[in-house]
Amino acid sequence: MSQPLRPADLTPLARDVMKMPASIGLIFFSFVAAYLLMVLPWSGAWLASRPDFLLLVLLFWSLHQPRSIGQGIAFFAGLLMDVSDSMLLGQHALAYVIAMFGAQVFRVRILTFPIPEQTLHILGLTLVSGCVMLVLNLLLGADFPGFAFFVSPVVTAILWGPVNWILYLPAVRRRRGATS
Amino acid sequence: MIAREPPAFFHRGPSPLARLTFFTLAAVALMIADHRFHALDTVRTVLSLLAQPIQQVASAPSEALGRLAEYFSNQDRLMRENSELRTRVLEQSAAAQEARLLKAEQAHLLEMTQARSRYADSGTIAEVLYNARNPFTRKIVIDKGLGQAISAGMPVIDGTGVVGQVTNVGWFTSEVTLVTEKDQSVPVMIVRNGLRAVAVGSGKVGSIDVPFMPVAADIQNGDVFVTSGIDGTYPPGLVVATVTSVDKNAAYVFAKVVARPAAGVDNHRYVMVLPPAAAAAPRPEARGDEAPRKAGKDRARARRQP
Repeated sequence: MSQPLRPADLTPLARDVMKMPASIGLIFFSFVAAYLLMVLPWSGAWLASRPDFLLLVLLFWSLHQPRSIGQGIAFFAGLLMDVSDSMLLGQHALAYVIAMFGAQVFRVRILTFPIPEQTLHILGLTLVSGCVMLVLNLLLGADFPGFAFFVSPVVTAILWGPVNWILYLPAVRRRRGATS
Repeated sequence: MIAREPPAFFHRGPSPLARLTFFTLAAVALMIADHRFHALDTVRTVLSLLAQPIQQVASAPSEALGRLAEYFSNQDRLMRENSELRTRVLEQSAAAQEARLLKAEQAHLLEMTQARSRYADSGTIAEVLYNARNPFTRKIVIDKGLGQAISAGMPVIDGTGVVGQVTNVGWFTSEVTLVTEKDQSVPVMIVRNGLRAVAVGSGKVGSIDVPFMPVAADIQNGDVFVTSGIDGTYPPGLVVATVTSVDKNAAYVFAKVVARPAAGVDNHRYVMVLPPAAAAAPRPEARGDEAPRKAGKDRARARRQP
């Protein structure tokens, strides 16, 4: 407990730590926080680069807590985002569910890599979910919003590292408290 | 793909692929129900009610910042604004007096013909909360909803012209689709010569298209479009847009007319929601969908046909 926590010494330890189930409270709180960040009054260029915090948290828990967080939660989270972003009901839901499916299928593979390589995998998933949204909206008759649209999936993937670090912290603290 | 399935010792439910199929079908069904039949407005209202507390928390900091900035805003600016407003009141008082006279005259005439006034007397002032967080559409969210008797289809204006139309109502907030939204149409006429047209949003900031104007039509730069009122949604006479470019090329059937919306469509703080215009002439035939935006499109389509 004496030396400060560095992200570097987290990753080798982390996979082990996360075998302990995270508390439901933490999972719930992380979703509320992610949703809160999503519904800040983003607009203009900020909106184009708004990272999809909710998708990040969904992916994180589906990788580390696959028994409790799956496609059903993703579906309902998506519906909530559709309503609050005033989109057609079901768009976010579909995009999230597809990304979650990818995470479930590649779960073991993704978890064998350290964070930088994991980020690349997450980038693939966020791009897929972004493309789903884009195609759906183009089908509905919207104009192509420009390539700035793809900034958001990239920013989302870049935040994978920080999100990992933040969501690991409570579990690591608990473990250190238990061993020392 | 992981080819190996875990042994069936533990109950794990359906496979990811089965779940994906199920949820994809559910999402597609929802989208169709929402898009084609507008059957999910209650679901939307309930979900938005659930999310309301968090949304409120999320918008609190920026609102507080805005108020703080307003509080500390320049004395200079306030005084200038004040004097500007005072001159505008003076300018408008003459027009207002004349309007009062005209209104009395109109009431008299209407009484004689036993018709009802097309003009609504009052509206609801609403504050714009934020732009909808949706890169594909142009909408704003205002702070009045079902509680203040707002309903879908009501026109929304600001001090200078038409802002748009209420398209979705929650308990405490509603969504307003701006006139610049792609395919959002408003029946208009030119003030100068009464020429009728349909103004259609282009989906871009600060630009409205006026399609299907014949090359020979009498239209020029600077012409002002006002609502014609024939759709029964917008009361007549509200300023919609000013023509910024007319491209008459004999090679095409129609002139390309582009206009700039009159209202500060993208930078207003307060708007006014007008009650729906008093019933116009009954529509020729009842159609299946009664959603306002769709109806606007239908009318636009109907106008194009001879």
